[in-house]
Amino acid sequence: MKASKFSWLLVIILGAGLIIIPLVIFLPGAEKPLSRDPWDNVPLRIPHTDHSDIIQGPFETGTEVTQACLDCHEDAASEVMATVHWTWESQPYQLEDRDNTVTVGKKNAINNFCIGIQGNWPGCTSCHAGYGWEDANFDFNQEEGVDCLVCHDNTGTYVKGYAGLPVEGVDLLDVARSVAKPTRENCGSCHFNGGGGNAVKHGDLDETLYFPPSHVDIHMGEHDFMCTDCHQTENHNISGRSISVSLDDTNQIYCTDCHSEDLHEDDRINAHVDSVACQSCHIPNAATRDATKMYWDWSTAGSDEIEESLHTYLKIKGSFVYEDNFTPVYHWYNGGVAERYILGDVIDPDQMVSINLPSGNIKDTSAKIFPFKVHLAKQPYDTVNNILLQPKTVGEGGFWEEFDWGLALQLGANITGLDYSGEYGFTETEMYWPTTHMVTAASEALTCNQCHGPEGRMDWEALGYYGDPIDWGGRFQSNSYLP
Amino acid sequence: MGKTPHLSKISKSLLLAGFSLVLITGAVLIGQRSASAQENLQTTPIHPSFSFLDADGVNVLDSGQPVSTMNTCGACHDTGFIVEHSYHASVGFNDLTSPGTTVTERSWDISPGLFGSWNSIVYRYLSPQEDNRIDLTTPDWIRLYGLRHVGGGPAVYGINGQLLSELPYSPKSLETNTLNTETGKLERWDWKESGLVEMNCFLCHTPNPNNAARAAALQSGAFQWANTATLLGSNIVYTSSDRYSWNPDAFNENDEIDPAVLQIQDPTNLNCGLCHGLVHDDVEDPLITLGCSPERWSTITTGQIVSPQKMADSGMNLAGKETLDRAWDVHAERLLNCVDCHYSINNPLFYQESEATKPDYLLFDPRRVEIGEYLEKPLHQFARGNSAQSAAATELNNTMRTCESCHVVDSTHAWLPYLDSHLEALSCESCHIPQLFSSANMVHDWTVLLANESPRKECRGTEGDEDTMGTLLVGYEPVLIPSPDKDGNLKLAPHNLVTTYYWEYGDPPRPVPFRDLQAAYFENGEYHPGVLMRFDQNGDGDLAKDEMVIDTQAKEEFIRARLARQGLSNPRITAEIQPYSINHDVASGEWALDDCTACHSENSRITQPIKLASTAPGAVLPTFVSGTERKLTGKITVDEEGAVYYDPAPATENLYIFGHANLAWLDMIGLGLFGTTVIGVFTHAGLRLYFGSRREETEKATERVYMYGSYERLWHWLQTSAIVLLLLTGLVIHRPDTFIFLDFKNMVLVHNIIAGILAANAFLALFYHLASGEIKQYIPKPRGFFDRTITQAIYYLQGIFKGDQHPFEKTPEKKLNPLQQVTYFGLLNVLLPLQGIIGILMWGVQRWPSLANALGGLPFLAPVHTILAWLFASFIVLHVYLTTTGHTVISSLEAMITGWEEMET
Repeated sequence: MKASKFSWLLVIILGAGLIIIPLVIFLPGAEKPLSRDPWDNVPLRIPHTDHSDIIQGPFETGTEVTQACLDCHEDAASEVMATVHWTWESQPYQLEDRDNTVTVGKKNAINNFCIGIQGNWPGCTSCHAGYGWEDANFDFNQEEGVDCLVCHDNTGTYVKGYAGLPVEGVDLLDVARSVAKPTRENCGSCHFNGGGGNAVKHGDLDETLYFPPSHVDIHMGEHDFMCTDCHQTENHNISGRSISVSLDDTNQIYCTDCHSEDLHEDDRINAHVDSVACQSCHIPNAATRDATKMYWDWSTAGSDEIEESLHTYLKIKGSFVYEDNFTPVYHWYNGGVAERYILGDVIDPDQMVSINLPSGNIKDTSAKIFPFKVHLAKQPYDTVNNILLQPKTVGEGGFWEEFDWGLALQLGANITGLDYSGEYGFTETEMYWPTTHMVTAASEALTCNQCHGPEGRMDWEALGYYGDPIDWGGRFQSNSYLP
Repeated sequence: MGKTPHLSKISKSLLLAGFSLVLITGAVLIGQRSASAQENLQTTPIHPSFSFLDADGVNVLDSGQPVSTMNTCGACHDTGFIVEHSYHASVGFNDLTSPGTTVTERSWDISPGLFGSWNSIVYRYLSPQEDNRIDLTTPDWIRLYGLRHVGGGPAVYGINGQLLSELPYSPKSLETNTLNTETGKLERWDWKESGLVEMNCFLCHTPNPNNAARAAALQSGAFQWANTATLLGSNIVYTSSDRYSWNPDAFNENDEIDPAVLQIQDPTNLNCGLCHGLVHDDVEDPLITLGCSPERWSTITTGQIVSPQKMADSGMNLAGKETLDRAWDVHAERLLNCVDCHYSINNPLFYQESEATKPDYLLFDPRRVEIGEYLEKPLHQFARGNSAQSAAATELNNTMRTCESCHVVDSTHAWLPYLDSHLEALSCESCHIPQLFSSANMVHDWTVLLANESPRKECRGTEGDEDTMGTLLVGYEPVLIPSPDKDGNLKLAPHNLVTTYYWEYGDPPRPVPFRDLQAAYFENGEYHPGVLMRFDQNGDGDLAKDEMVIDTQAKEEFIRARLARQGLSNPRITAEIQPYSINHDVASGEWALDDCTACHSENSRITQPIKLASTAPGAVLPTFVSGTERKLTGKITVDEEGAVYYDPAPATENLYIFGHANLAWLDMIGLGLFGTTVIGVFTHAGLRLYFGSRREETEKATERVYMYGSYERLWHWLQTSAIVLLLLTGLVIHRPDTFIFLDFKNMVLVHNIIAGILAANAFLALFYHLASGEIKQYIPKPRGFFDRTITQAIYYLQGIFKGDQHPFEKTPEKKLNPLQQVTYFGLLNVLLPLQGIIGILMWGVQRWPSLANALGGLPFLAPVHTILAWLFASFIVLHVYLTTTGHTVISSLEAMITGWEEMET
């Protein structure tokens, strides 16, 4: 065939193509914008390898199972041991109002539920991802001590008891052969039962999430999410954070990881997202189904006079108030804590003690209005030294055995090293629990007048506005005058 | 008000100055107030405490007399000014005229407002003074209609301007007498004892006015206590054994009312809702109304409910409720209050000079009355639109801002093709209130009385048992009626039509007074035996609701005779239709009507009939009330089951709705033309085959001729595909119902783009043909043209069957035979440009509407475009067929593709 007189053109095009196409493909482009379709950001569920033929027993103890796991998954234990599920304490962190860095975690923190784990290990560590943490001497470097099964059991029969050891009757071989990705039950067995029972602690995490209706949790109900679809995990480091124990929001999960911020059709609503967290509107009420603990008065504990009832009074714990389907408390929140009570901090017993006051205010542009469950308590403190005390409750001499506050507080002080004068009283404390689970369907989200107007639920002045921003302007609007 | 103590102007100004100071300090204080959230943002806690004064200006704690709002509020505010400038107070009182001369043209109406204009739903009317048979006198009117009247105006003054309490008694005067319904005689009304109903400030300016107690006081005739009764339940005043006593504990040491006990506030939606319709401000507490009984007066006329609550959260039995994830009224949801739009028209916050009076060089005039001045003399004339049902105080019509005053239309409606055309023809409400989800009244049939002496009623928007929780509320689609907008242009707007059937008598006609109607149906509290005999269809001795309807001559005659016996001359059934405007319950874009085929289809919303009544009592067809300013050119029709409908007729409004307004006869002609062509072609082809098979095929010598240049071919095929696509898309636009699976909206766009391509192609081709001189191929040579045409025609009719040679040789220089020449000349130089120009005019109808209108507007242009399209379609069939008449069936087609044609030599 005779060469066309245009063949030179073809050569140029081909040549240019050879240069340009690889450039387009391999040059680092601008960061890909978040897909408008939230499903694009949901991880694919890869079927888990069936371990039933791989694992050979018999197993006498949990540690034997862990050893079997480590035969193949050599790094698994060391990965787990680097996470808070194992360490129960944070990296050293510099809080604004302190001179030195602090490390806070379940290991040493105080809360206003069961107060603290020190001295109470065997009871509390039944939720530790390890075996045998029964006293201060627990070896955190022992790989076989990691409990693989609590997260990977898929039979639903695995139960932990004293010091995190499997309870009697658990068929370890059967459990070990079932291992797969964590299900709702793996996470829920501890996280739904925080505080010693279903729904006690969080207000947004309870057993309704095992099979939630769509209006209780749109993700886990309507869309059949597992916990780990959002709490995505790399090298056993599970994402997610809560200021109930953490100090910052590294490794945090955000709605906007999947949803684009300006996805609302209405610009008025999109204008809210700079100041209002998604949760504020999309979780209109907390503890929609199961009541959660709102108030815990330790001072009445030990009495035989008061009638016992799970949700109002227990002799070992004191008096409670439970509430369901309540309007959360709204507070500015930038992901961190403004104040964190650490053992030994001096308090003013006439004031409400904030154990973990969320950080943020109206002038903090990174803060948003966020819903919280606020848990109030009356808990023991040293009336001479003005410090919160941590009693020994579990075990020999503990309050739950002897009902002797003086003894329990002394034993607790011996372990924690607190300076206990021997005089104690009870003071009021508050804890903020972020409300972030149990997101409802869009159609159930708050509407304008649920926050604004005469019927609105927001305490605008407490949030730092002069008045309702629908009249006074939002904090980024030109007519906005902030105090 | 002669005796009322008036503060001097100076002290009043001082008071106001002080008040302004309080205002400012209060504002500062509020700013400093800490955590305590304000309970109710509507309240004005800075309103100073004030004394309750009676009609003599004495503190009520001392006198024990009813509170006089005129004196109490008048201590600071100019209450005289307020009453004088309030159509809520005057309700037509200032426009009293002689019977029959109002815009409603009812012969018994004496004003355009509530005081003197008939409310056919309530049925009772204020009798003109000269009437012999009286329905309501002035005191009677207050006792009945006072519930919907804020006081003042006709409840204080007589027609001659004297205080009612100072009118001299006259036995015949309808102002100083009440009608004894037992005897039918006038009896003296003691105004001194009853007192007057002053304009009731508390009703609108306090948070929880006791409207029921107010109504009870009015009904009992204790007029002067009505305003005091409004405060019952607020701890300020108590009542025991019909005596009111003031509670001194509610007042401070200066005997002034404690602001914590009585908050004075701007009117909330709930205040307005007391008279104007169902308002439900609570988002959480489910709103409940049963079946066909939407509560509150105005709501029953349209079904409009003002509530921020999502319909799905209401407690009502709504059809498809779980999907109704929208608020009843988007403005209520967005925290707008009634008074945000219906503001006092001298309120300096809201007042804006109308475009009509503003000089051209100004956008905004910042000058306005001072706040203090406004607080002293707030006009109680509220901005409003132009409702069909309201004929009073028309000078205030369209004082309200329009939708477009607040909302941007262009950018939010970019998706809507022909936006200007749509906006010209439709009010915003037409699409943004596509449906009422509650029920509304359809018929009030006062020709009969049910056992509880109420009329027979029919509702729209319900299914199943009426008035129970089980009634399914399906809602209804309002009828679209041409209504004047602010500038007087007619636009379609949603309305409900409520029909009232009733008996009238005499000349000039009057509605049969209620007590005469009662007497016709009842005897000693029971239905008259004659009524029972004629109406009891199932013979159970009881008259059920559905039996009470005058659907036979016998029933009508019987009641007529009963009425006539009471001395009513010539009683007859008549009926009127009152249109009610629908402007509330607006939906946001998501819920608005955005389906093109809702209007652009055979069953268009625009012409959708609305049912007026299931039966026509006395076979009477209702007529529209006059003075509504609505263009009601449709027809009132009766279907085979006797139901009455109103069929809107927008065609008479110069509206041409694509996809709906197709002329059936024109399409029949077009289709006939097309069909004839197809049949003709097939017949011709059949004959050719038949004769061809009987003819011996002779091999003819051929040669290949380069017939069509590449540009000619390109032009031809581009034109072909454009025309075919235009015909197809045009057909979809023309008959969207037939092509329901194709998207109407996009079809219009596609059609326009292809038309653009076709036009460009045609212009280039014209240039080519002119420049190359090829144009001459199309221009028939005049000399002998007819002969040649006939020769060619004869060939097609005879020669072709015999296998004759083509009479005219086809050569590249002369491709067209005379018949083709004339056809193509017509097609390409007349039809195509004509169709194109008409198309452009239709496309440009919103850009240059005057041009299109000068040429007959869409109602003329569109049908011409249609028939031309049919011509094109027919031509294509013929044209394609004629290409088969070359050397072989496909040789001409081949030529148009390759350029080379096999020609017989």
